[in-house]
Amino acid sequence: MNKTTTTLLTAVLLLSAWPLAGQTRGPASAAWTFPVEEYRLRNGLRVILSADNSLPLVSVVLAYGAGSVREQPGQAGLAFLMENLMFQGSENVGPLQHVGYIQKTGGIVNAETTPDKSLYYQTLPSNQLALALWLESDRMGSLLLSTRDRERRQDELLEEYRSRLGLEPYLESYALFDTLLYPDFAYGHPLIGSRGNLKALTDADVKSFHAAYYVPNNAVLTIVGDIQVARTKELVARYFDSIPPGEGVIPPPPPQFRQEGEISRLMEDASLPSPGFHLGYRLSPLRPGDMYAMKILQYVLSRGKSSRLYTRIMKKDLTAYNFGAILEERRGVEALKIFALNSTDVMADRCQKAVLSEFDKLKGSLIPLEELERARHLFKTDYIRLLTTNMDRALFLADAAFADIRLDALPAELDKYLRVSPQNLIILANRLFVPANKVILNIRVR
Amino acid sequence: MSRAPCPSPLLAVVAAALALAVAAPVPAAAQARFRRTPPIPDSFRELKLPEIESFPLPNGLTVAVTRRPGSPLLTLQIVIMAGESDSPPDMPYVASLTARMIGRGTKDLSSDEMERLIESIGGDFSATAFMDYTVLTLHVLAEQLDRALDVLRLMIVGPEFREMDLATARPNLFYDLKARERDPEAMGRRQLEHALFENHPYQTATQGKGRVSYITLRDVRAFFNKFYAPNNAVLVVSGDVDGPIVARKVGRLLGPWIRRDVVKTALPAPPANDKRRVCFVDFPGAEDAVIFVGNLVMAPRSPDYYPFLVLNQVLGGTMNSRLFMNLRETKGVAYTAFSEVAFYRTCGVFWAKARIMPEAIRAAIGEIIREFQAFPSERIEPAEIEEAKSFLIGQLPLRFETLEKYGDQLARVLALGLDASHWGRASDNLMQVNVDEVPGVARKYLAANPVVVIVGKKEWAGEALKDFGAVEMYDSGGVFQTTLRQGVEK
Repeated sequence: MNKTTTTLLTAVLLLSAWPLAGQTRGPASAAWTFPVEEYRLRNGLRVILSADNSLPLVSVVLAYGAGSVREQPGQAGLAFLMENLMFQGSENVGPLQHVGYIQKTGGIVNAETTPDKSLYYQTLPSNQLALALWLESDRMGSLLLSTRDRERRQDELLEEYRSRLGLEPYLESYALFDTLLYPDFAYGHPLIGSRGNLKALTDADVKSFHAAYYVPNNAVLTIVGDIQVARTKELVARYFDSIPPGEGVIPPPPPQFRQEGEISRLMEDASLPSPGFHLGYRLSPLRPGDMYAMKILQYVLSRGKSSRLYTRIMKKDLTAYNFGAILEERRGVEALKIFALNSTDVMADRCQKAVLSEFDKLKGSLIPLEELERARHLFKTDYIRLLTTNMDRALFLADAAFADIRLDALPAELDKYLRVSPQNLIILANRLFVPANKVILNIRVR
Repeated sequence: MSRAPCPSPLLAVVAAALALAVAAPVPAAAQARFRRTPPIPDSFRELKLPEIESFPLPNGLTVAVTRRPGSPLLTLQIVIMAGESDSPPDMPYVASLTARMIGRGTKDLSSDEMERLIESIGGDFSATAFMDYTVLTLHVLAEQLDRALDVLRLMIVGPEFREMDLATARPNLFYDLKARERDPEAMGRRQLEHALFENHPYQTATQGKGRVSYITLRDVRAFFNKFYAPNNAVLVVSGDVDGPIVARKVGRLLGPWIRRDVVKTALPAPPANDKRRVCFVDFPGAEDAVIFVGNLVMAPRSPDYYPFLVLNQVLGGTMNSRLFMNLRETKGVAYTAFSEVAFYRTCGVFWAKARIMPEAIRAAIGEIIREFQAFPSERIEPAEIEEAKSFLIGQLPLRFETLEKYGDQLARVLALGLDASHWGRASDNLMQVNVDEVPGVARKYLAANPVVVIVGKKEWAGEALKDFGAVEMYDSGGVFQTTLRQGVEK
C-alpha cells in the first residue's frame, strides 16, 4: 500500500468513525431559542420584538422599503444619498448628533442601503432603549433637508467613491457585470449610482423620495435584546404612533428578463492589476423552495477550502489566485455570481473552462452524500452564526419581514435547507444553469 | 437574505454638517413636548458575566470553561503563551507562520484532508499570533464537541510540518503583510511602535515583511517545539457545556500532549520615550496625511489602568472628545482626530491619531502636543469624566456579545496575566475613577516627549517639518532611508 492510499484510508476511517451527519443530532429548530412577537401601529409601522435578557444590551433596527430598486432612471444613487442625509439632523436632533448621542452611551450605530431597503441600526445599553426610539422617530417624522447638506454629501460621496476605486480597482467591473446580469434598470444599476446621476440629484428628488418611502407604512421596526415587552410597546407607541402614514406604497416593478442565449462581454482596462472574469447564472425561473436547494448547492461549490471550485482552481489547477462566489438576492431577482482573478489571460481562460466544467458536473451526476453533509454542516454553522448577537437577529428579522417570510415559520426554516437531497440539487442545476441564464464578463489588462 | 453593504456614513464623519443653514423640515406630526429633549434612561442594568471554571490537567494544560446556556455554538481556543515578541529578533513573524502551519496536517493526514475534516463538522479554524500570545480557534456547532476536540488533538499533538505547505503559507503571510502596507493607519501604528520598542523584544513584531521569505521549516519546528507545550497553554471552552465533563474529555484526548520544559524569561517593561523623535513614512499616492503622536504607558495590571482609560476617553475616545472637537470642529485642521490605547503584557501604548490635509501637518502636530501638555493642568469638568465613564461602562457588554469575543477576552486576560475577574470588576472599577485621579495619570504619562509619526508623500516632509529638527525618513516598507535636518537631507 503506498503512502497516498494509506493517508486516504486513514482519513476515511477517521470520518467513518464519526456518525455521518445528515443524521444531524436534534432538530435544527432547536437553534431557534428566542421568542418573537410582532404587531402593527395604526399608522402601518410594523413592529417586531424579541426579548433576550442575557446581556444588558438592546439593538434597534429601523428598515425602510427604500432601496435602490425604488430609484427612477436618472436618479441612480438617490437611496444611498438619502441614507447619508438621514444623519444630518431632524427637528430636535442636530447634525450628526444621532451618532453622538449613541456614542455617549457606549453604543454603536450605522446604516446600510441594499437594493430593496435602507436600514438604520444601533446597539446600546438596554436602559437607553428610549433614546434610540426618540432618535429614530425624530428623523422619521421631521428630517431636516437643506440644500447645503445635500450638496456637501453629494461631493463627499463622489470623493468616497473615487477613494474606493483606488482601493478596489475591480469595483467598476462589478457594476458593469450587474448591468449585464440584471438588465432591468431597477435591479441592475449600482447602489452608488453614476458620477453624473449622483451629482444631478436635486432637493426635489430627495424630498419626494423621503415623503414617498420614509413613512411608517413602508417601514419595519425591530427591537431585540434586554427588553420588557410591555414597556417596549409603551415606548414604541409614545414615539411612533403620532407620525402620520404616507400615501400607499406600491411594490417595485417586477423584473423583466429576456435573454436568448449566453451573454459574454469583454472589459479592457489598462489600469487593472491582473486579468480575471465574472461569471454568473441568473436564477430564473425560480420556484418556491428552490432557494433552499440553491444555497446548499452554493456551499457545495464554493464554501470553504474543500469546496469544489476552491479545490479545483485554487488548489489543483492553480489557475486563479483569488476567487469568490456569492448567492445574491435582490428581492425578486437572484443570481449565483463568481469572480476570479488570474495571473495571465491564458490562466483566466483555463480557469473559466474549469469553473464551467464544475457546473457541468453538477448537472451530470449526483452529489455524494458525504460531500452534501459537509455543505449542510457548514451551512448550519453559518446560519446559526447569523443569529448570534441582538443586532444579527434584528437584521435577520427585518430581512425576513421584507422577504415576506412569516415570522412564526422561521424556526422551521433551517430544517428546510438541511433536508435538501442530491436529487433536488441535480434537478435544480439542470433547470437553472442554462445558457439563457449565463452571463460572463471577461476582464483583460490592456 | 444577503446584504450588500455600502460605505458607512460614519466613515464619512469628515462630512459633519457644521451649520444647519436654512433647512426645510419634512412635514411631520405636531411637535410634542416629549420630543424636544432626549429621554431619561431607565435604571442601569449591570453586566453579569458567567463564572470561569478552571481545570488543571496532569500534563500541565489548563482547561478554562465558561458556560453560555442556550448557545447552539461552541468555541474552543488553545492559547499558547508565546507570541510575535518570542520570534527570534532576526527572524520576525516566525510565531505567525508557525500558527498558520497548525492545522495543515499530521503524519497521516495531508493539509487537504485536514481541511475536509474541519469542514465536515461545519467548523471554522483560525490561528493568530499576537504580541504576547497565540490563539488557535475552532468554532463549531455545540453538537460537534467530541469531534472538535479530536480535531484539536490531531492538530496539536502530532502536527506534521511539510515543505509544500510552507510554500503556500509563507507567501500568504508575506502578501498579508504587504496588504497592510496599503493602509496608512496600519503603517503609522507600526512605525510608532517600532520607535517606542527600540531595544526591546516587542520591536520584533514591528519589523517589515522582508525576512518572511527566509523562514524555513526548521525555524517553524523550533518555535513549535520551544513553545507549543501543554504546560505553556490554556484551552478555553465557551458554550453551553458542562465544565467537569468537558475537562474529562479534554484530559482523555489531549492527555498524550507531552509536557516539556519551556524556557521563557519575563520581559521587562520598555521605558517610555523622552527624546524628540519624528518619523516620516513615505506613502506614495497619499491624498491626506495620517499622524500618530504617542508614547508608552502602564501595563494593564497597574492601578493607573482605569483612570487612564477615562483620560483617553475624555481626550480622544469619540467625536465628542477634546481632540475631535478642537482639531476638527474648532481649528479645522483635521478630518478626524481620536486617541487610542493598546495593552500588552508589560506595557500599554497610547497614541493620538489624526487624518489631516497635508498643509496642516505642522499645525495638527502642534495642536495634539499642546492638548497633551495642557491636559494635566486644564480643568476637567466632572460631567466630562462621568460621560467618559458612562461610555466605557456602556460599551463593556459589547465585548461579550459572541462566543468568539468572549473567548478572545478570556484568552487575553489569561495571556496578559490579569485576574480572572478583570472584566467582571471592570464596571465597578470604572465607576470609582474620580475627577482628581485623571489629571494625576495625565501628569504621569503625558508629560514626556512623545514620538511623532507622519504617513504621507515624502515630498510633504521638508517644508512641513523643517522646524522639527531631525526627521527620520522611512520607505513604505518601514525601511530607514535618511534623516532630514531643517527640512533637508544632511
